[in-house]
Amino acid sequence: MALLEIKNLTLYIDTGDDTTVKALEKVNLTLNEGEIRALVGESGSGKSLVVRCIIGAIPDYWSIKADRITYNGQDLLNMSYEKRRQIMRREIAVVFQEPTSSLDPSVTIGEQIEESIPPEFIDKGWFWEKNRQRKQIAIGLIHKVGIRDHARYLNAYPHEIPKDVSQKIMIAMALASEPKILIADDSTRGMESTTKTQILRLLVKLNKTKKLAILFVSHDLLAITSIAQSMTVLYCGQTVESGKTRSLLKRPLHPYTKALLDSAPSFQVSLAPKSPLVALDGTIPTLQHLPAGCRLGPRCPNARKECVQVPAPRSIQEHTYSCHFPLHMPEKLSTKPPRMAQGLTATSYEDD
Amino acid sequence: MLKLLVRYLNLMVLTIFALVLLSFFLPFLFPGDTLTNISGIVAQSAEQRAALEGVYQLDKSVFHQFAFYIESLITGNWGISLSDRANLYDDIQLAFPATLELVAYALFVSIVIGIPLGFLSGLKNHNPADFSVVTFSIVGYSFPVFWLALIFITIFCLQLEWLPLSGRIDLLFDVPVNTGFILIDIALSDISNKYDAYLDALRHLILPTASVAIVTTALFIRFTRRSIMDVMKKDYIVAAKSRGFTQSQIFFKHAFKNALLPILPMLALQVSTLITNVMIIETIFSWPGVGRWLIQAIYQQDYPAIRIGMLIVSLFVMSLTITIEFITRAIDPARERAESATI
Repeated sequence: MALLEIKNLTLYIDTGDDTTVKALEKVNLTLNEGEIRALVGESGSGKSLVVRCIIGAIPDYWSIKADRITYNGQDLLNMSYEKRRQIMRREIAVVFQEPTSSLDPSVTIGEQIEESIPPEFIDKGWFWEKNRQRKQIAIGLIHKVGIRDHARYLNAYPHEIPKDVSQKIMIAMALASEPKILIADDSTRGMESTTKTQILRLLVKLNKTKKLAILFVSHDLLAITSIAQSMTVLYCGQTVESGKTRSLLKRPLHPYTKALLDSAPSFQVSLAPKSPLVALDGTIPTLQHLPAGCRLGPRCPNARKECVQVPAPRSIQEHTYSCHFPLHMPEKLSTKPPRMAQGLTATSYEDD
Repeated sequence: MLKLLVRYLNLMVLTIFALVLLSFFLPFLFPGDTLTNISGIVAQSAEQRAALEGVYQLDKSVFHQFAFYIESLITGNWGISLSDRANLYDDIQLAFPATLELVAYALFVSIVIGIPLGFLSGLKNHNPADFSVVTFSIVGYSFPVFWLALIFITIFCLQLEWLPLSGRIDLLFDVPVNTGFILIDIALSDISNKYDAYLDALRHLILPTASVAIVTTALFIRFTRRSIMDVMKKDYIVAAKSRGFTQSQIFFKHAFKNALLPILPMLALQVSTLITNVMIIETIFSWPGVGRWLIQAIYQQDYPAIRIGMLIVSLFVMSLTITIEFITRAIDPARERAESATI
């Protein structure tokens, strides 16, 4: 059962001079109950935009069109503001990219954590008892995310604490309402590996013990493959491929996924010494100069005439891809062998 | 915090010293006889001159003179006016509260109207309410204060005859001076028709307060609007929204304080502009404040009065600015970091 389902989400950004840019185009994403799903993509591929669309914090000059964005079967798009707020308050929690700027600089950490505790959790009668209970819950939350020295941090202001601690505090605040979904928006970016491991372990533990569904937004392939059961690959605002992490790693169907995996040497078991590293030519296009059709087109080694049309998502079992000429697949449309595909596969298998 | 307080007190004392030193040298720099400039008395004979020099210690060294000057400043012995032989200390005691009163009301009006309007238009930006508030603030800010006051007088006093033209209260009400603040004085006095007196004093207040407050209000609106618009785009507001907090919770707990903190020093700086404007307005509305008093002194080349008046006004503006600066420092948790943790 899909807890969170996004179907054909398109995000238009008004650039001011009577032009709109499709920052996201027909993005599909599902998050099942108790699952860790990774949302992968380069910087600028629109990962954070997807998150902003889910939580509904979008400025006036953005507009969303989608077949559906549902949480637990309830349509988030056509919901009243109040109802959506309630869902955000109790069911969905977000941990943002920049922990230090996502905490209010003028309020102490303790107060901010206490604020995120829903009032329903406080059952004591008098206000001093309530305050004490709130404080107890806050201390418990901080311990839960692995900070032992609560006295030191509760009365501190956000600028006084280190970045990894504020990241953990963001997680504590997200857990305060005991949500069903945790969206971690690139929460381990720029962290040293020990802290990163701690946070990843914390996420996995939460997923195992509380059946917390996690949408893990990142470009860190190592972290993703170690914790995520399934992944969705985003390129330049389009979902290119999604499925179980294991099958994606074993047999990527989309050229972009393959290039992405190849770019991380840790995944190439048989990488010979001094062999060239594989990367796609060019860079990710800017929003002002998006190619028509499949946005990988100009950089894709397999691109052909058909690629100026946006490919419809096709799926084999749980593995969905959007490509006219997927890798590892028998040719259906054309008898001609793909010009570059052989070259691409050759680079990865030529060593012996 | 204590360190901060000591630092600001130090700054204040040093600035006061510099101001006192400057005002000490003024009579030597003014044209004319230094003795007359200091004492306010034109010596008629050699004996009188010698006696006066003895009193003001002009026959001793400059350090003695300075020490004597500080002593007389502290004891309230501020000299006498050259033009009407009035005691300057009493004069200022009468005039200064009147200015303070006008400044206080104008500031009150600007804060009470300007800041909420700024928040309103910043939160609802780019809708008709916002546009009208912004238009009002641009128009209000563009008026020169003295011109606006004259226009007010022409319309409301001369054409429509709704409001009184000058002064603080009608001469019919004999309110004894107690604190110098007219509204408080009325409350403290035992005149029979207090209600009428209040009404009359308020009618006198409307035009001067309005003409000063419009410019300041316009500025406050612009500062607040800009600031709240910036704050609402910040990550922590998006984060607060994502946590499903209510609009009022987001505004009062997170946006309000963060929007006001950066603009408080700017608002504080406007107070000195406000005082300057009040001085101009006092002259136009014959408001018996220190500004009008000082301008009269300048017309009459009343050097002792100019010296003391200038010192008092600058001391007031300076201590106000430093106090507000201290308060903003003290309540802003993030600013302490900037001064203690920069490498």
